Amino acid sequence: MDFVIPAQAGIQRQKQFREADKTKFSFHLHGTYLIVWIPAYAGMTDFSKYGMGIYDMLKRFLFIRGAEIIALLSLASIPLFVSNSYALGLLTLLAIYGILLIGLDVTVGYLGQVNLAQAAFLGLGAYAAGICVTTFGLGMLSALGVSLLVGLLLGGLLAFPALRLDGPQFALATLSFSALATTVLNEWEGLTGGAQGLSLDRPLLFGILMDAKAFYWLCFIFLALVWLLMRNLLASQWGRAFEALRDSAIATDAMGVGTYRHKVAGFALGSALGGLAGGLYAFNFQYLQPQSFTYDLMVILLLGVVLGGRKSLWGAFFGACLIVLLPNLLSNRLLFELISAGGLLVAIAAAWRGWSSSKRLTFQAVAPIIAMGILVVGGYLVENTENWRKAIFALMLFSVVVGLPDGVMGFAARFLSQLFRISPSELPPASKLEDALPTRQHSGNTLLELQNLKRYFGGVKAVDGVSMKVRAGQIHGLIGPNGSGKSTAVNVISGLYAPTSGEILLQGKALPQGSLFKVARVGVARTFQNLQLFAELTALENVMVALREVYHTPLPLVLLGLAGKEEQRAQADALALLKLVGLEAQARSRAKDLTYGAQRFLEIARALARKPALLILDEPAAGLAHPDVTVLVNIIKSIRECGMTVILIEHHMDVVSELCDVVTVLDGGQVIAEGTPSEVKRNPKVIKAYLGVESEAGLPDAMPQPA
Amino acid sequence: MDTSIILQMVVSGAFMGLVYALIAYGFQLTFATSKSINFGQGELVMLSAFFSLTLLNLGLPYWLMVPGGLLFGAALGLVVERAGVRLALEQKSEGWILLTIILGLLGFSAAENIWGRDDRPFPTPISADALHVFGINITPLEISVAIGVFLVMGAVELFKRKTLMGKAFEAVSADRDAAELMGISATRTIMLSYGLSGMVAAMAGILISPITTVGPTMASALILKAFAVAVVAGLDSGFGVVLIGIFLGALESLTSFYLGSGWREAPGLVLLILALAVRPNGVFGKSTMRKV
Repeated sequence: MDFVIPAQAGIQRQKQFREADKTKFSFHLHGTYLIVWIPAYAGMTDFSKYGMGIYDMLKRFLFIRGAEIIALLSLASIPLFVSNSYALGLLTLLAIYGILLIGLDVTVGYLGQVNLAQAAFLGLGAYAAGICVTTFGLGMLSALGVSLLVGLLLGGLLAFPALRLDGPQFALATLSFSALATTVLNEWEGLTGGAQGLSLDRPLLFGILMDAKAFYWLCFIFLALVWLLMRNLLASQWGRAFEALRDSAIATDAMGVGTYRHKVAGFALGSALGGLAGGLYAFNFQYLQPQSFTYDLMVILLLGVVLGGRKSLWGAFFGACLIVLLPNLLSNRLLFELISAGGLLVAIAAAWRGWSSSKRLTFQAVAPIIAMGILVVGGYLVENTENWRKAIFALMLFSVVVGLPDGVMGFAARFLSQLFRISPSELPPASKLEDALPTRQHSGNTLLELQNLKRYFGGVKAVDGVSMKVRAGQIHGLIGPNGSGKSTAVNVISGLYAPTSGEILLQGKALPQGSLFKVARVGVARTFQNLQLFAELTALENVMVALREVYHTPLPLVLLGLAGKEEQRAQADALALLKLVGLEAQARSRAKDLTYGAQRFLEIARALARKPALLILDEPAAGLAHPDVTVLVNIIKSIRECGMTVILIEHHMDVVSELCDVVTVLDGGQVIAEGTPSEVKRNPKVIKAYLGVESEAGLPDAMPQPA
Repeated sequence: MDTSIILQMVVSGAFMGLVYALIAYGFQLTFATSKSINFGQGELVMLSAFFSLTLLNLGLPYWLMVPGGLLFGAALGLVVERAGVRLALEQKSEGWILLTIILGLLGFSAAENIWGRDDRPFPTPISADALHVFGINITPLEISVAIGVFLVMGAVELFKRKTLMGKAFEAVSADRDAAELMGISATRTIMLSYGLSGMVAAMAGILISPITTVGPTMASALILKAFAVAVVAGLDSGFGVVLIGIFLGALESLTSFYLGSGWREAPGLVLLILALAVRPNGVFGKSTMRKV
């Protein structure tokens, strides 16, 4: 599908123009629209010149850490002033749901999978704690420990079959799991009491009888702990890996990060938090029924996470507040009408803004208005809103999913950080390139050897007995007409496909076969012809995620937030590599917002972060504009100066001639020529393969481009 | 052990399994064109059944009610496509999973409030008196289910193979990009598949209602098993669903006989998880290759 690339580049560019137009438009039409003009203003005033770095840092600390401290302190101190048992009950539930939703956000937000099992994990954790107390007479903390473990183990167990799955299949697996859990809780009457329910007494904690206030504080302490630990974890390499595998599982493996282990770990972690919340839930209500943990609860939990905002602890917390307050919200008619009318106004305002900037009413703008409109009109028409509970959830969720995909807190965070001009934290100075990418000295020995490599797809012999040697420190070109087997050969080397037969040796040792991850781990890095960037991560994070030999801090210390030094080092190294490809100025841009050329260069920087023994570049110039091709050639030259060994697949013959020491030409899955670029260009077999005729003149510099 | 009891269990289970197969077939229709399925399909079955019951109560004869119910199901399918699926597919996101769940929830709540939470009988002209065949009781109602299932599946397959629109359907299923380049509108084809899928769901509702009665929760267990059948057979496997449906129906009938009716749902759920673990593309599905 080579021909798609230039078209994509064109669309990409068009999109950027459109984005730029939009910004200008809204700037002129609405001077009041802060989000647009503040960054422009901030850009004009260079604070750093006036020693404002410390001021920025302080502001950031106050806003981000300050908000956390205020929230935690006020949550801790409320029971000192409020002794209303109803309010205390709500607060306790808030803490429990907070933990539950932070767990759910790991899968739904960070891993990006629709997880329908969190309600089941709450139930399993609750029953585990209940059974520990009633049947085995365990104390409170050990029972909670068991709840956590039950979540962790069952979550890990479910993640294994769900491992290879994405999207609908993953959702179905979790859905079946929850239905199965409910069945077991209902039917295993000897252990769970079945539909009759399970009653338990709240056990003592350190010999103290827990009253409502003390129990709230216990739940609060757990929430605060979970909050802090998860904040540290999600800001570390782990959090980046979760997001990376959501954006591209193939690249996560190819960068040696490991899709499987992170997916299982993420899911097990989220489930463990569900189990812990379940334990607290059991001690809070002291009565459990299987019906409490079904699909209905799951939908409410999803409402909480999605409405609050994915990928955000604050979002999960806000979602938990919402879930706790929902029953009150629905029973109070006035409050309900106010909220639905407010929602309608917000939807209309958003649509009006979109209309005035683009003169187009999109589905995203109209659908929330219709949904909120139904909510307002319906609110007047029906007698009892409580009966329509599910429809109300549905309409609210629908509006948010369609109109506000980042959720309330995602929107608020963006708005506030721009309103108060909170810039992201300053980056450390870039490392020396030598530290990020050590220069290798080579004696010109063979680094990679293919021995009679074959890969068949059914009857198609894509690679049919290729043998070649790549010498260390050289740039080895791999060319051939479309369908000649270049890409398949590279996919076999890098482990995407297992070879049908044949050997691949790296430094004399057999390369692992058929696993991107294992091949990446022994020192082969690659880029992709069809870009496989982590689109939602920034350029810097794209490189950081792939860095090798930087992350050594064990998980417990990461959780405690003691990986700061390592993070600094990672940032510095990543910056050095971005500098090498000329992207250090765009370090904070999200990969999907970069120009097409910049995205190609970012893939190279990311591959270099592996400090690979062998770098495979799969058509790096495909679709690039001419000036970008020049930049690319210079990047590859400086990579060679580091002593890197490169396999370069390329159609641009001028690039190949300029860079390659040796060129291997494939046709029909077989090697038809090998030699220096100029030898190969004169080889009659090569000319015939490309042009279909024998020609005296040799190959022109610009190879016939695919489409 | 009395073999005739076991045989009886297997045969009645198998008839039930055909309905799972029919709903699973509806999943396959939309999955073929858009790689998406309606997670609220159960609510579609239930709403169509309620609507058909209302038509009967309004005095419409049974044979006129059937096309009315089918049209209603198709209309709901189109609503799901427009409101829940199209945007997410345009954004190439998996938001459709969440959105179709949400739409299902909306439909459920509406049914609860419009038709009430109680289960109601669904009158049918077909007799429920058992016939004795080789020592097994089979009712004409069960036979009508089988006939209905095969009629609908046959009709849709004929449509796909013999009409131009059906050919467009097959083209988009095979290669969406290529079909678009040939001037076939993928959006319209996906709409068509959702309409057909809604119609198939309505048929399932009409067929099963005389046996199970009609109520808001009538399809919540049904749909899990239809998911299981679709996944175990493979979401792109064609008639594999019939075999797997019959197998699962018989299996769960035996399970509920030996372990108690509470465990009735378990085999389908276990099979689904196992199938996903061992053969994510299903028993009859083609394995796909990772591409870059």
